Amino acid sequence: MIVSTALDRRIGAVARRSSGFRRLAAALAGVLLLALVMVVAAANPGMAQSVRPPAGAVENVAPPSDPANSPVGGRPGAVAPEVVNPTAGKGAIFDTEMWQRVRKGEAGKVTIPDPMAGQLVQSEGEAWRNLRNGKVSTWGAWVLLGVAGAIALYYLVRGRMPISGGRTGRVIPRFSLTERIVHWFAAGLWLILAFTGLVILFGRYVLLPVVGPTVFSMIASASLQAHNLMGPIFVVSILLLFVTFIRGNFFQVADFWWLLKGGGFFGGHASSHRYNFGEKTWYWWSVVLGLVLSASGFAMLFPEFLGSRNYLQLANLAHAIAALGFIAFGLGHIYLATIGMDGALEGMTRGTVDENWAKEHHDLWYEAHKREATTNRSVAEAKAALGQV
Amino acid sequence: MTLLQFVEGPMWYFAATVFLVGAAWRVIGLLAIGRKTDLSPAKHSAAVGFIKGNLRHFVPRTTFAERTWFHWLAGYAFHLGLFALLFFAAPHVKFIEQRILGFGWPAMSRTWFIIAAEIAFAGLIVLWVRRIADPVMRQISDRDDHMGSWLTFLVMLTGCFALGESDPGLRTLHMGLVNLWLIYFPFSRLMHAFTFALSRGYTGAIYGRRGVTP
Repeated sequence: MIVSTALDRRIGAVARRSSGFRRLAAALAGVLLLALVMVVAAANPGMAQSVRPPAGAVENVAPPSDPANSPVGGRPGAVAPEVVNPTAGKGAIFDTEMWQRVRKGEAGKVTIPDPMAGQLVQSEGEAWRNLRNGKVSTWGAWVLLGVAGAIALYYLVRGRMPISGGRTGRVIPRFSLTERIVHWFAAGLWLILAFTGLVILFGRYVLLPVVGPTVFSMIASASLQAHNLMGPIFVVSILLLFVTFIRGNFFQVADFWWLLKGGGFFGGHASSHRYNFGEKTWYWWSVVLGLVLSASGFAMLFPEFLGSRNYLQLANLAHAIAALGFIAFGLGHIYLATIGMDGALEGMTRGTVDENWAKEHHDLWYEAHKREATTNRSVAEAKAALGQV
Repeated sequence: MTLLQFVEGPMWYFAATVFLVGAAWRVIGLLAIGRKTDLSPAKHSAAVGFIKGNLRHFVPRTTFAERTWFHWLAGYAFHLGLFALLFFAAPHVKFIEQRILGFGWPAMSRTWFIIAAEIAFAGLIVLWVRRIADPVMRQISDRDDHMGSWLTFLVMLTGCFALGESDPGLRTLHMGLVNLWLIYFPFSRLMHAFTFALSRGYTGAIYGRRGVTP
């Protein structure tokens, strides 16, 4: 709207000075100039997609991005779009002051419902984009790869942790049906959101070169829709998780000693109650990061309630960082629950654990529950389902 | 012919035909079986029992409420959410109008669509998790139950993928799975969508006639 006003002023000034043939020539020239600008813009996607003023144009210009991390600068052979003053040398009015104010982020008035549309240029957006696509993505990838590598290394060295003394054939009820349903409800959503979230954050670097733009646009669109739709349900699951598992998840003195002994991961025995220090940390980690993800996710789903793009960008960064932290810790949890440790998963599938497993990993809890150990698995599972755990 | 044209054309007509003919065959078959004439004098109306049996099952018995509220709630959440999505989601109303009935009705707003989808997804996930976590449910569940649950979940999930309407491939995926779901429907326990009323009514009618309808 501002551009069209400037153009109107120009055309009006020309019209007043000219008549007849001059008026027609000026109109034709205007149309040709507009067509030329559109062709250049269409041929140069960079011009159409980014607003990049000359460095140092005004005070609040974002710091120059790291070419290695910049989505444009980092691409081999990429050329930064050239910024052209279309009215320079034409003898027309160029409202330098107006553009400087626009460039400084000053908001104008708009008649459409979105009040944020009044701000044409928001330099903080460039800083946010560089941070998200730069440090957050790069370091996030390294953290995830590091955790996955450490887990793989540990598995190669230590292998699957067996149950010391083998299985006794006697089982103890450990997780109620409600606990298991809430756990798998949250876990299922976590997996969907983690996968789609990783596609949203890293897809353009990892998937795009492999599958090409057509397939990638399909995967990215699907991921975005699924992520946005499943996110609010995840909030419910986190709240249920918090309430259902809070019993036994407060830190105790035994957790300190468990930590000092390295949780028994490198040999020796570390005592623990119903949950050990690692499990308790995972619980609180999930609750806190889950709430951060929920709050920031809602902020991004309903940006009109924020009132400022700055908050939206902060929410996006908080969401990405919290998600990466959640996934990194989650990898460890999944490893230990599945291939890393014998006898752990059945607690969350059948609701019961082997007596020796309980003695080895949760001896203090076992002492309080050893009378419930039975060879009758059906009875133990029924007790677990009824919540007698 | 593109893949989308195929799944929305010949495959759709084939799937819809299998669904309609198969479901009708099953329901008519059940009705045609009939039952042996009850020679004992009726104490109360079997017809009233049929109706009461149907209505009574919408509410859990007080005795079992504490044990069943979880899946009762999840069951309602899923079925009502799915019903709303199926008949009131804007793309579905448009499809029904253009491809099936020739007329439509007001669709849900996007906000209500999202709420319905959230409720339906949450209900379905909880119900399936209960199916594998509950020792009794695990024992009485077979491949058909899991197939039905997963096929329905995938239809809903791909529908949510296609929500942006940004790529024909996603619509193709959704419609392809919808067709599979329709074809599978008459041969599976998904038929309970039609037979639940007969089942409840049959039990209700027997007890109604004996005068023991609750």
